[in-house]
Amino acid sequence: MKKKKIIKLAVGVAIIGTLIGGGSAAYMFYKPHRDVQAAKTDYSITNSEIVSEYLKDRQAADNKYLAADGDSKILEITGTVDKISENYNKQKVILLKEYGDFAGVSATFTAETNHKVSYLDIGQMVTVKGVIRSGAAFDEDLGFYENVILEKSDLVAQK
Amino acid sequence: MKKISSIVVSLVLLMTFSAYSQGKLKSSKSHIKFYSHTVAEDIEANNYTSVSTIDTESGEVVFSVPMQGFEFEKSTMQKHFNQENFLDTKTHPKGKLVAKITNINEIDFSKDGVYQADVEGELSIKGATKPISEKGSITVKDGTIGVESKFNVTLADYGISFAKGKPSTNVAKDVEVTVLADYQAQ
Repeated sequence: MKKKKIIKLAVGVAIIGTLIGGGSAAYMFYKPHRDVQAAKTDYSITNSEIVSEYLKDRQAADNKYLAADGDSKILEITGTVDKISENYNKQKVILLKEYGDFAGVSATFTAETNHKVSYLDIGQMVTVKGVIRSGAAFDEDLGFYENVILEKSDLVAQK
Repeated sequence: MKKISSIVVSLVLLMTFSAYSQGKLKSSKSHIKFYSHTVAEDIEANNYTSVSTIDTESGEVVFSVPMQGFEFEKSTMQKHFNQENFLDTKTHPKGKLVAKITNINEIDFSKDGVYQADVEGELSIKGATKPISEKGSITVKDGTIGVESKFNVTLADYGISFAKGKPSTNVAKDVEVTVLADYQAQ
């Protein structure tokens, strides 16, 4: 009798364990991407500030802004719209760059936020929220300064 | 009257000439795709954030690729891709191709058409630089230049290998890389 009870208990524990284990594995497997726009902003700065931070010490800036698992810092960048374009994925891309700066911040919008860009004009001051993918630097092979890259962007303020 | 028309003709000629002798062109948009096929599953990642230049005179082609810009369907896969034992994108945020079109003389950038390009150079991923020699195509149409290439990258060449676990069975040893870019004058 006692033995049977123990076996029953063991089987029960095994079943529950499998369910929890399998469930969390499935959860990990199908876990959705981080919602950048719903997540908290890590830093609010201007385009000129982050560019000069990168040009001064790239390593330090990468350490500060990039995450090892790719879920890097979420930034709100304020700057002047210098260029508006569209990428191969039909996403709008705006370049926030100040006159005289070596580089700017290139912000890629999404299918959901693309429409906000159509109301923007060149020269307008805006604030954009997005996740940083890479920093600014002078590239010898390209022969010019690369911009800071922001993706999953949305417009949060405009003047 | 004749003088004016000859001035106009020479101006037009000069403009046409300068449009095609601009040398280095910058990409306005690009798409880089990773594709891995195994019996277990097919994995794809897309990146639209690369910057590239092509020099129509020297034939030099450069691609700078923000590695964290690769987007996977599954978030867990994207996290693995970025992590230290895979691409280590925090330490090596950019991938790079510096190459030369060796048959640049066979490509007429002033004439519409599709040209085959032989490309030789170096590919840097995760801090490791290896020589590559691939083929691509260059499409010239209405003054715009498009580049397309598809080639395989052996992950182990760049210090990326998995002895055990899911990646060892689900990630191919050779991944297919597709590159697309459009160029315009700087």
